[in-house]
Amino acid sequence: MSSYMISVTAADRVGIVYSVTGALLDLGGNVLELSQTVMRGYFTIILEADFPTPRTRDQIVEAIHERGRRFDLQVQVTEIKEPLTEPLVPAGERFILTVLGDDSPGIVHNIAGSLAAHGANIVDLHARVEGSRFSLVMEALIPHDLTPAAIRSELERYGRAHKLEAFVQHENIFAATTEPSPVRLGAALRSQGDSLASH
Amino acid sequence: MHRTEDVLATLSMIRQHKLDVRTVTMGIDLAPCASPDVTVLCDRIRTRLIHYAGRLRAVCRDVESRYGIPIVNRRIAVSPIGRVAAGQKSEGLIAVARTLDEVAAEVEVDLVGGFTALVQKGWTDSERRLIAALPEVLSTTKRVCSSVNVGTTAAGINMDAVAALGHVLLDTAERTRDHDGFGCAKLVIFGNAPNDNPFMAGAFHGAGETDCVINIGVSGPGVVKAAVEDLVAHSPTKPTLGDIAEEIKSTAFRVTRVGELIGREVAARLGVAFGIVDLSLAPTPQVGDSVGEILQAMGVSRLGGPGSTAALALLNDAVKKGGSFASSSVGGLSGAFVAVSEDSALARAVEVGDLTLAKLEAMTAVCSVGLDMIAVPGDTDAETLSALIADEVAIGVINHKTTAVRVIPVPGKKAGERAVFGGLFGEMDILAIHAPGGSTEFVRHGGRIPAPLSSLRN
Repeated sequence: MSSYMISVTAADRVGIVYSVTGALLDLGGNVLELSQTVMRGYFTIILEADFPTPRTRDQIVEAIHERGRRFDLQVQVTEIKEPLTEPLVPAGERFILTVLGDDSPGIVHNIAGSLAAHGANIVDLHARVEGSRFSLVMEALIPHDLTPAAIRSELERYGRAHKLEAFVQHENIFAATTEPSPVRLGAALRSQGDSLASH
Repeated sequence: MHRTEDVLATLSMIRQHKLDVRTVTMGIDLAPCASPDVTVLCDRIRTRLIHYAGRLRAVCRDVESRYGIPIVNRRIAVSPIGRVAAGQKSEGLIAVARTLDEVAAEVEVDLVGGFTALVQKGWTDSERRLIAALPEVLSTTKRVCSSVNVGTTAAGINMDAVAALGHVLLDTAERTRDHDGFGCAKLVIFGNAPNDNPFMAGAFHGAGETDCVINIGVSGPGVVKAAVEDLVAHSPTKPTLGDIAEEIKSTAFRVTRVGELIGREVAARLGVAFGIVDLSLAPTPQVGDSVGEILQAMGVSRLGGPGSTAALALLNDAVKKGGSFASSSVGGLSGAFVAVSEDSALARAVEVGDLTLAKLEAMTAVCSVGLDMIAVPGDTDAETLSALIADEVAIGVINHKTTAVRVIPVPGKKAGERAVFGGLFGEMDILAIHAPGGSTEFVRHGGRIPAPLSSLRN
């Protein structure tokens, strides 16, 4: 058994997913997880695949190039030697960070630096420039021992200096307002209050 | 990952359209505090309020920070003092009011409601004394709010209490003359008062409730107005009123969900029960936070003109529908408040003569409350004020809905002059009362208007 993380990038065309997954199937591979997006006309896919019969990185790259010859694919293959027994990033609560305002070089870099300094891990990020307007929506895990106010005040300070507005809010608020499922608090929070006995 | 569009839509409700949690109201049952000794009674009330509400401010701050949503007011509603302090003389009742006022300041809540009497069918001596003490209480305390329920569909209308309240309003206004009779703004006279109403000034902790409960009042006139304006401006074809109702409904859903989330979290952190979300579109004097502006966005450019009542009915119904899908714990009043002095667009409509007392009364037949924050001439006689109350309560009693009166006779001022209450209470031109003094004998009959027949409804 061999496992690989495979990423493929190319100018977007019809049929790339069909070709890439076909190449893996030819090698007897099975896709375990896959994420794909198209950004400004460029296609990117990242996936994890298992192969019951051991395969080399070169075999996988060659098979994908062969199947996707007409797409000029950029392929990166990384072997997963051992599954991670412990996560390398700290746990935390999921917050949504939003930054809106004037574009200037270095915004993502500086915000990411602030978060890294506080041990907050970015788990999803989408940023876009339209005209001169910059917008960023990010999901980040803020460690339990850090208050959102600490991150918020730092981002607000950075925002004031760069004509940006920054917001830090718990993801529950977005789930509650956009999903029809019942409002739920996390299990940890439900048990947080010391029940006040009748007085 | 949440969709960027969804995140930005929720964010714009908060940052651009003034969505906030208007009130976190802690309801506290004070029945266990009862004692014939007023000192013991007040001590028990103090201890119990601090026990439950001592951490309210800190918890609200934490939750506010976690979600980035402002919690504008923290309040307490207690069991109707008319029952808790039964048997007390006037001095005892006033001592209880002072205790409520002091503890509210101590735990840093801005208002405490529940200096209340429920007298729809009849009144006890204690409740009669409580009503008589209202001018003193409302003029000498800062945070204490009062309500009197004078009628229900099941019981009819207690006209003796209604008659007394006309005098109470005049006395209270006179004692707060230097503030345009502001004491009356802390008194709500109800028909069919809900048991779980967290909205001041009429809030109280009703019978059938638990020891302590967190209720939420969410207010989103700005959000609803923005949604209607956006729909009208950007629809490829002119939206129908059905389309507008759908838009209001889905907006009300999102607003209610915010309230439920915040309420559940505050309750969980305090270790007390979560009660209800009252989704009332309660305005503030700020431009952009007005129920009147929602009606204008729907196309009623002259508030008070024909069509105003229908538009308000559409709005009120759509808000209730959206809220009831969002939460199984919707209660209180949940609809649109037309608090005139607090609503810049309504106050302006009064100023230009479009909105009259008669039209407001008609509109209250389809909205959430009733004649709310309305200034009338200071020389209005007590019986005319009572008749005004009786009319409004009758609308509620006959139509199986809550109605209320919060009317302020402004000492020394006449119709057309300006009454200024300040802060969130706003300001407005004083409205004329049609044919004052014409119902004096009717009010003086007293007694009880019988409960209406529930079959043969029409």
